[in-house]
Amino acid sequence: MAIVNRAEGRLYFTPLVGFLLLFLGFPAIVNLVYSVSTVNFETLRSPTITGFGNYLSVLGDREFWRSVSFSMRFGIVTALAECLIGLFLAIFLAPLLARRSVLMAPLMLPLMVAPAMVGLMYRLVLHEFAGPVPYYLFEWFGDSPAFLDVNNAFRTLVVVEVLQWTPFAFLLFYMAYVAIPLDVREAAALDGATSFKALWWIELPLMLPTLTIAFFIRFIDGFRVFDNVYALTGSGAGGSTTSLSIYIYHAFFKQGAIGKAVAASVLLFLASLVVLCVLNWLAGLRRR
Amino acid sequence: MLNGLRWIVYAIAVLAMNFPVIVTLVTSFKSARELSTNAGLWINQPTLENYFRVLSDTSRFNIYIYLANSAAAALIGTGLAILLAFPAAYAIARSEAGRRILLPVVVNLRAVPLIIFAIPLYMMYQWLGLLDTQLGLGLILTIVNVPLALVILVNAISDVPAELDEAAKVDGASSLQVMLMIIRPVIRPALVTTFIFGFITAWNEFLFGLMLTTSRAVPMTVGSSFFFAASGGGVQWGTASAVMILGALPPALLGLLMYRQISGSMMAGAVKG
Repeated sequence: MAIVNRAEGRLYFTPLVGFLLLFLGFPAIVNLVYSVSTVNFETLRSPTITGFGNYLSVLGDREFWRSVSFSMRFGIVTALAECLIGLFLAIFLAPLLARRSVLMAPLMLPLMVAPAMVGLMYRLVLHEFAGPVPYYLFEWFGDSPAFLDVNNAFRTLVVVEVLQWTPFAFLLFYMAYVAIPLDVREAAALDGATSFKALWWIELPLMLPTLTIAFFIRFIDGFRVFDNVYALTGSGAGGSTTSLSIYIYHAFFKQGAIGKAVAASVLLFLASLVVLCVLNWLAGLRRR
Repeated sequence: MLNGLRWIVYAIAVLAMNFPVIVTLVTSFKSARELSTNAGLWINQPTLENYFRVLSDTSRFNIYIYLANSAAAALIGTGLAILLAFPAAYAIARSEAGRRILLPVVVNLRAVPLIIFAIPLYMMYQWLGLLDTQLGLGLILTIVNVPLALVILVNAISDVPAELDEAAKVDGASSLQVMLMIIRPVIRPALVTTFIFGFITAWNEFLFGLMLTTSRAVPMTVGSSFFFAASGGGVQWGTASAVMILGALPPALLGLLMYRQISGSMMAGAVKG
């Protein structure tokens, strides 16, 4: 006998499903309808369906492609850097952490601070008069770069994001690393594998699924970045730090271009579906 | 020798990753006078005046309101997420239903940029009168929290032997009774973890706070940025720092107390993703 029968199961799902339909399903339909309509703040309730004009105007907008390019580069660069540094820290620090697990806490602290808050904090850190980084650079080298101007803003934001989220990659890798069974390691040692060979041929392949997943999670988070970028530079630095999320936000709240914002949202949704399909396909391969 | 190197790397990593927090903490203890001459990491004359000013002078920006809004919205967003996810998780763990569609869809939600839904939600909120309310913000935070809550709870319930349920059923308990009186106490640690994790996530959320609130329901993440709005004489860095420390404190303390549980659930969330 099943513990939860069919009717009961349906009952237990209903609140969750209803909530999701109301807060995500309904907005998704509104998105689709508005994206093919002519609509502004006066005609919100009665949009006129006019075809794919919104998509065309988004796809023809140089700012849109600029923001896609920013998000893409930002997602790839930060995810790569976070995974590489995180992997190094996880393996190199493992002997230290194995004996004193309380050492984990300071490494995890960045994950507990709101990214928006971190963005604001860097306004202070990098401020030319009140910030310690320019202060010490002036003290030691007599000069300090403009961290948030057009040329440097991208690099600065990458560093900000990487420093905050490397702990996430590190944490996943560390847990995957210590989960490798002891007898696997002993067998490798018995066969005369040096520790580097064991790492390259045995431990890293065993950690590969975690590496892949961490990369994708971090890529998605980097691609849709909003909080810390918005708090630190806005779309500032000549619009050079407009991520796709910030583009949508601006189109709606600053320009009132509802159709354009909604069409961009649908495109972002399609893009994230593609990434998710790849990710699930990879997960499926692993299971087989 | 190698071990010494490990300690050095560890220290550098901790300092670099926590650098913004350290700088903000240091700045929050400096007087405005000291800040104008000393922007370094050393404090010559530590003072509490910034905290005092933030907590006593509420004429321009009232930090208590922001803190209360964050707390209320985060509590709604976490509590409701658990209320919705727990029965669904029980049904998924104890029957075949929901495994094929509901679970994967909800789990994948975590990876969908929620800004996609922001514009229709904004219009819906305007229509329902939920703009700039704690409840409205809390409902959105529920969406943010549901995916991970469901994953953690399904895992936790699946780990409970089904014989426990069956024994109770033989004794005449309904499945509702089993869920509430047998399963709930057994998976209490998972419920606590879900709550802590959800509370931190909700407290730290920014995008929806920015879009859906303007004055009455502004959360701490958005309220902090108000202190950076230069108002004659530029930003009061000491005050702004004190505000950020106070705003970052609740999730940071929770996180440091519960870091073991949290690292476990991050792993669960990632692997099932």
